[in-house]
Amino acid sequence: MGESKGIPKILLTKIGLFFTFAFVFLAYLLMSSSQSAIYYSWMIPVFPLIAFSLILMFGLQDTEKGGSIALFGVSFSSVFSLAIAFDLFVNGTAHGSYVESSRVWFSGSTYSFEFGTYIDSLAGLLLLVVGVVSYLVVLFSISYMDDQGDRRVRYFAEISLFIAAMYGLIVANSFLLMFIFWELMGVCSYLLIGFWYEKPSAASAAKKAFLVTRVGDVFLLLGLVILYNTFGTLRYSELFADPQILMDNLEEVKWATLCLFGGSVGKSAQFPLHVWLPDAMEGPTTVSALIHAATMVKAGVFLVARAFPLIVHSPDTAIYIAVTGGLTALIAASMAMVMNDIKRVLAYSTISQLGYMFLALGTGAWAFWHSAHLGEEPGFSQGYMAGLLHLMNHAFFKALLFLGSGAVIHAVHTQDMREMGGLRKAMPITSAAMGLGVLSIAGVPFFSGFWSKDEILEAVHHNAAHEGIFGALWFMALLTAGMTAFYMTRMWMMTFSGPSTRFVSNVVSSKDHSKTGNWVIKEEKVASHAHEAPLIMTMPLMILASLAVVSGLSLVFGGGFSSHVYYGEPHESHGMVQWEIIDHILSSSLTYLSVTVGMTGIFFGIIFYKRGSDGKAAFSTEFVNDIWILKISHTFLSNRLYMSDLFNWFGTRTWDTFSMICDWFDRNIIDGIVNKVASISMYFSNSARNLTTGFTGHYASLTLGGLGVLVLLTRVVMPFMGWSI
Amino acid sequence: MIDPIHFILFSSLLLLIGAYGVIRNKNSIVVLMSVEIMLTAANVNFVAFSTYYHDLTGQVVALFITTIAAAEVAIGLAILLSLFKQRDTIELDLLNRLRW
Repeated sequence: MGESKGIPKILLTKIGLFFTFAFVFLAYLLMSSSQSAIYYSWMIPVFPLIAFSLILMFGLQDTEKGGSIALFGVSFSSVFSLAIAFDLFVNGTAHGSYVESSRVWFSGSTYSFEFGTYIDSLAGLLLLVVGVVSYLVVLFSISYMDDQGDRRVRYFAEISLFIAAMYGLIVANSFLLMFIFWELMGVCSYLLIGFWYEKPSAASAAKKAFLVTRVGDVFLLLGLVILYNTFGTLRYSELFADPQILMDNLEEVKWATLCLFGGSVGKSAQFPLHVWLPDAMEGPTTVSALIHAATMVKAGVFLVARAFPLIVHSPDTAIYIAVTGGLTALIAASMAMVMNDIKRVLAYSTISQLGYMFLALGTGAWAFWHSAHLGEEPGFSQGYMAGLLHLMNHAFFKALLFLGSGAVIHAVHTQDMREMGGLRKAMPITSAAMGLGVLSIAGVPFFSGFWSKDEILEAVHHNAAHEGIFGALWFMALLTAGMTAFYMTRMWMMTFSGPSTRFVSNVVSSKDHSKTGNWVIKEEKVASHAHEAPLIMTMPLMILASLAVVSGLSLVFGGGFSSHVYYGEPHESHGMVQWEIIDHILSSSLTYLSVTVGMTGIFFGIIFYKRGSDGKAAFSTEFVNDIWILKISHTFLSNRLYMSDLFNWFGTRTWDTFSMICDWFDRNIIDGIVNKVASISMYFSNSARNLTTGFTGHYASLTLGGLGVLVLLTRVVMPFMGWSI
Repeated sequence: MIDPIHFILFSSLLLLIGAYGVIRNKNSIVVLMSVEIMLTAANVNFVAFSTYYHDLTGQVVALFITTIAAAEVAIGLAILLSLFKQRDTIELDLLNRLRW
């Protein structure tokens, strides 16, 4: 890691140069064809793909090059995707609809597989998020992976491929094409989690992630099969075109959407397939930030949002999605409260926030269905919009928190928060940026998390009037909000508060070690070695921190998030700031309730976990162990509700029984037949071998005797019996 | 007139004598000679029936058999010679290594 605080000049030049290239290229394309940037969306995944192959071809010649090539590819796609997002949200190019372009890849007699792009406001939102986050993460990685040597080639190749797959998933125009990229991302996730593959835990975490998400993928494939069998197409534009066809096949739509959501459950780590995400933290922190917080796990949310026109026809699926989301949010938040590994806290937090998004989407779909059911004109789905707003906000503040934790880990070389503390002075920028992220996710008013969380809670509460289960979900979501504020504050306090010096107990060899071989425990006061990360690492943090603060304001500024993302064009816009939304939020008692709950969480987080001048917090390990109720719940939660153990037990038990049956069958039936055949022939041949005496005379007599017997048989016995040859 | 039955009886007698010689003798050379007697029994049949049916084919075959029998004896004697070189005996009862 470079000690210098500044960005190396060469890198700065590269950053500027790449952006200039990208802009010039885009401008050239736009000028030469006078078309909107949307028509060049197919290029977005191509750039990182080219970068991927270039790194594979030339990366090993100069290991420094990998990062630059990846940055090059990502710069281009970021510029293109931001241009498209600008086009969609500011110019309103798509006019509330979509822009599709496609080519035939191969065609059969009944079906032609087309690949192409389908850009609507949902894709635009994802492009915006991925465009920003992927670029910043790659930039951060260049410094973060500095000490990895040759491995950087592999890292940057894989991450380029991953980014290509993510972009491909967003711009794909059919479920089939999306599924291809979906699987490609799964592979990249596997490769990157197992980046340090020589570590057994990383290798097994990679396998676990791959296999667990595979369970979901099977459901997703099943959903696609159902859709194709019913409607004969997998293209979005054809599937969503006619609601009447969907209404005529309600049962198929229900099962198809449930199966599609099964895929989301795997990819987005929802209960009960959430077990892989915390283990996925074995990968490099940048990977966790990009893949397992900001982008790939959002693919599940994206899938549900994409299939929203299908889901609104199936209230069962909607409720199932909402319940899964709410339950996951609560469970994951409860586990996040007790984790000591900083990355695991963030991992559980991610699961929890993803649950929030699913809760919002399910709620929105149900509300949509409900109003259509009552015969009203379903105009606007607050839950859908809130879920997507939360998706964007979460991408920014969670990427920020992960990258910040990466900077911390880079500085202190441990992931255990109990060994941290007092880093506030040493790492002012990181701690401030992460502080903003914490405030944002905790839902402190006017930070980004506040807006989306409030919208979600309101949407759920709105549904509660019509369907009882949403009342329970609302309560769970509110509780989750408080717990989120609590564990995030806890994380920040454990990491950054307290004195910068601390006591460290080490086992050292005693004075008479050479004679007796004794070891003693020695307490010593050491100053923290941590220091602020270089500017190239803190710069993405600062950008993300400002986004985490302001991205929520898109709800109320510039015509409002909902008009752009939901209607795709400025809609009932009254001026620059949507005062009626602010007015609505400020006058609602729900807002004050959720803010109070969040503040309570922060308050408890501070009083329990703020490190005093001795570096100890009120809630230390000893304190928790002394109070039995705390101890029991702590044990229960930190063993992850024994879910992993249950899976392991169930897995090994069923598998063991099955293998024992197979073993018995193999040993007794298969081997038994073979052994019996062998031993019977052994028995007979043992008698028969005595004929081989070694005396020529015996052989000759046997031959003659045999001849005689043959003659007797054919000449005497057979004519006598009336047989003939 | 000599009937076919006489040839057949004569050749059967030769065959039995040969077989008896093969089975009972311990001296390899005598066994070889007995095999030749058995071959002769077959030859007698060929020649006799050739005369009986007025067809020369049988006599030609008999000539062939005689030729081949001569070659066979040569090979057999060569084997016995090399056997004697290796084992110092051609007594068949002593040459029973290859057995169960």
